[in-house]
Amino acid sequence: MSADTAGPETLGSLSDEPQQQDPNSQQAKEIAGKSPMRIALGRLAKDKIAVVCALVVLFFIICAVFAGPICALFGVDLVTPLASERVDGLNKGLPKPEMGPPNGPFTWDHPMGVAPRTGEDNLAYWLYGCRVSLLIATTATIFASIVGVVIGLLAGFLGGTVDKVLSFFIDMFLTIPFLLAALTMAPIINDRFNTADNYSTIQKVALVIVLSIFGWMGTARLIRGEVITLREREFVQAARVMGMPTSRILFKELLPNLAAPIIISVSLMLPTFVALEAGLAFLGIGVTDGISWGQTILKATNLTFFREYPQYLWQPLLGIVALVLSLNLLGDAVRDALDPKTRR
Amino acid sequence: MTQDPNAQAQIEPTELGANAAETGDRQLTDETSDAYGSHEVGVGNLDFATVAEMGHTATQLDPLAPAVLSVDNLKMYFPVKSSGVVRRTIGHVQAVDGISFEVPKGGSLGLVGESGCGKSTTGRLITRLYKPTGGSMMFEGQDLAQLNNKQMKPLRRDVQMIFQDPYTSLNPRHTVGAIVGAPLEVHKIVPKNQVLKRVQELLEVVGLNPEHYNRYPNEFSGGQRQRIGIARALTLNPKVLVADEPVSALDVSIQAQVVNLLQDIQTEFDVSFLFIAHDLAIVRHFCPEIAVMYLGKIVEIGDRETIYGRPHHPYTQALLSAVPDVKQAAIGGRRERIRLEGDVPSPINPPSGCRFRTRCQFAQEICAKVEPPLLQIGQRHKVACHFAGELGAHPATPVTTALLGVDDQGSPVSGAAPTNTQLTIPGYEETWYDLKTRQTTGV
Ligand SMILES: Nc1ncnc2c1ncn2[C@@H]1O[C@H](COP(=O)(O)OP(=O)(O)OP(=O)(O)O)[C@@H](O)[C@H]1O
Ligand code: SF4
Ligand SMILES: [Mg+2]
Repeated sequence: MSADTAGPETLGSLSDEPQQQDPNSQQAKEIAGKSPMRIALGRLAKDKIAVVCALVVLFFIICAVFAGPICALFGVDLVTPLASERVDGLNKGLPKPEMGPPNGPFTWDHPMGVAPRTGEDNLAYWLYGCRVSLLIATTATIFASIVGVVIGLLAGFLGGTVDKVLSFFIDMFLTIPFLLAALTMAPIINDRFNTADNYSTIQKVALVIVLSIFGWMGTARLIRGEVITLREREFVQAARVMGMPTSRILFKELLPNLAAPIIISVSLMLPTFVALEAGLAFLGIGVTDGISWGQTILKATNLTFFREYPQYLWQPLLGIVALVLSLNLLGDAVRDALDPKTRR
Repeated sequence: MTQDPNAQAQIEPTELGANAAETGDRQLTDETSDAYGSHEVGVGNLDFATVAEMGHTATQLDPLAPAVLSVDNLKMYFPVKSSGVVRRTIGHVQAVDGISFEVPKGGSLGLVGESGCGKSTTGRLITRLYKPTGGSMMFEGQDLAQLNNKQMKPLRRDVQMIFQDPYTSLNPRHTVGAIVGAPLEVHKIVPKNQVLKRVQELLEVVGLNPEHYNRYPNEFSGGQRQRIGIARALTLNPKVLVADEPVSALDVSIQAQVVNLLQDIQTEFDVSFLFIAHDLAIVRHFCPEIAVMYLGKIVEIGDRETIYGRPHHPYTQALLSAVPDVKQAAIGGRRERIRLEGDVPSPINPPSGCRFRTRCQFAQEICAKVEPPLLQIGQRHKVACHFAGELGAHPATPVTTALLGVDDQGSPVSGAAPTNTQLTIPGYEETWYDLKTRQTTGV
């Protein structure tokens, strides 16, 4: 059989290359076994913006995961010092010149300076703030995705009454204003647990729950829509004709095809949650123990500090902006890579 | 005067030049086989029928074969819901409305008809993707229509389906091995470590390279994908295969190869086919028996020679007249094409009496009043028409009046009892109603 020409029937709408290869030919052997996911990954690797953003995200992940060792490396920690050793109470509580900017030269003892008034080390708080931010955003994304995917799958595949009930819940949760709910829950949690030893953990768990509860609807809608179109595909009917149980159809046949919408909703949720965590901490209804970028910003937006010591505000702000921006851009790139219509 | 060449020439089933005219503009210059190994056929410039004839004659009818599946009065009504909050049922789509037929063991029944007449619905009823509204489907002593999903599961091994679109019928995220091996895992027939062996065996049967089991469907062409779909349907050694337009998404030259493959499979594994199609040339090649459907009902059913040579129903005649005929083109004559006026009526509210009457050129008063029964008029020929007859020889008076106890206008005649003793059964009876003598006769 001649290998270099293919019958016209090979020009299917889904064929990846402009000229489809005969699978027996040498060239085809090299691309053998490429799943659609790997093709998308290959496309992603060619996208420069995506690679840069991925590196930035990786940097933040390393900062978050290795916050402890990095702090040790620089010899800084979260321990609140005797404030008078580091800040000048007479000069509006700004750091002493030996502590680095704004009044002195850069010093390796405190690479990012110290906080005004308390004298806490900025680098340590920035690193642990990064950890809190990513930890909360990631966990909330995981929970929200799982809930969203399961509900979307069930609503889309089972249809009928199940779909109606689940869609009603999706709409109901969409109508509750997120900020209002968060503002209402904060004092309740505060009142209930503020005497507990692990108050800060409880606070974070509550935050994750609140974020997940208000984050799953988008995923559920996306997945539901996708499942409704997939459900009519003949491979699902083939699965039913061969007697495959519904659970297996949902998780083995449909779920692998939902990788794209799941990745898309994750790529939308992660940056949103990072920003929300900081925003809530800034409002004083998220993390309140001080180790959060939002809390640092709250402290830094004091007019005097901002005029005299703007770096104190820029540091956490830069962290949030760089992380959210690169997550968003990376998400865009992933969405493009997964979308067959943007194939070159 | 209308002339139907099929009616005059006593065409042998193997003479299949029938649709070359249709494919003349789609000539293929390159090597067109997608098969691997012994199935290779190098052909160029050929149409379906010519390719199909290479080593494969049209399947012959075995009149003595017992029925493996007999469908009786099968009905499927889809509810139509009103829009709004309280969604009431405001009507029914009568997608399939009381059809009866038999699929002979090791044979194949073709199901043809216009788009929307209920062919796919019939196939999905038999594979129990839908639960029928009524009727029975007897398979090995069990009524598929009555079984619940759990009771159905063991029988699913025996009734499998080949799908129309090779691009959506394979899961793009699974390898060929996973796709073809899935039925084995679902039914836990062979131990896990032997699945691969069976998969490779099947890939070889359908003419694919058995080493390609860990490739993804996107690396195969349409014809090759369809072969993968066929391998999956064969995995469980089914007894009945429902093929819902298995080749209509493929290029003409590939169609022939896939049909030949199906024929090979049929002889090798003794599978029975319900072959759904709208290409009459393919049905003629593959199916010794053909049922013609219109708006949820079978209007004519019979063996190939009768349906193609002496169709008696105006709808079948119209369908056949639309098939370009190469012999006709060769002698220079033009065959008159029967144009069907108007659109297919809605199956939600089908016409009274004969469903075809809104588009039938022979329609008369009786057609609106009385539904014509599916009457056996030959040894292996049934037709549902008050004016059944060969093209150009339709009777002037209804042939069914005596049987139904009505006058020529379709009004009941007082005192005249219906004499129709024929019951609509899935198969054929020993005796039939002869149209010429208007008497029940036998062999
Ligand atoms: N799930 C469903 N719900 C409601 N109506 C349906 C459903 N499936 C099919 N129908 C209707 O039933 C009728 C028959 O459909 P079916 O798909 O069986 O036609 P078909 O003969 O296979 O046509 P085609 O040649 O286009 O495939 C159509 O009018 C269709 O609209
Ligand atoms: S019964 Fe009447 S309307 Fe129906 S096909 Fe026959 S002649 Fe036409
Ligand atoms: Mg169909």
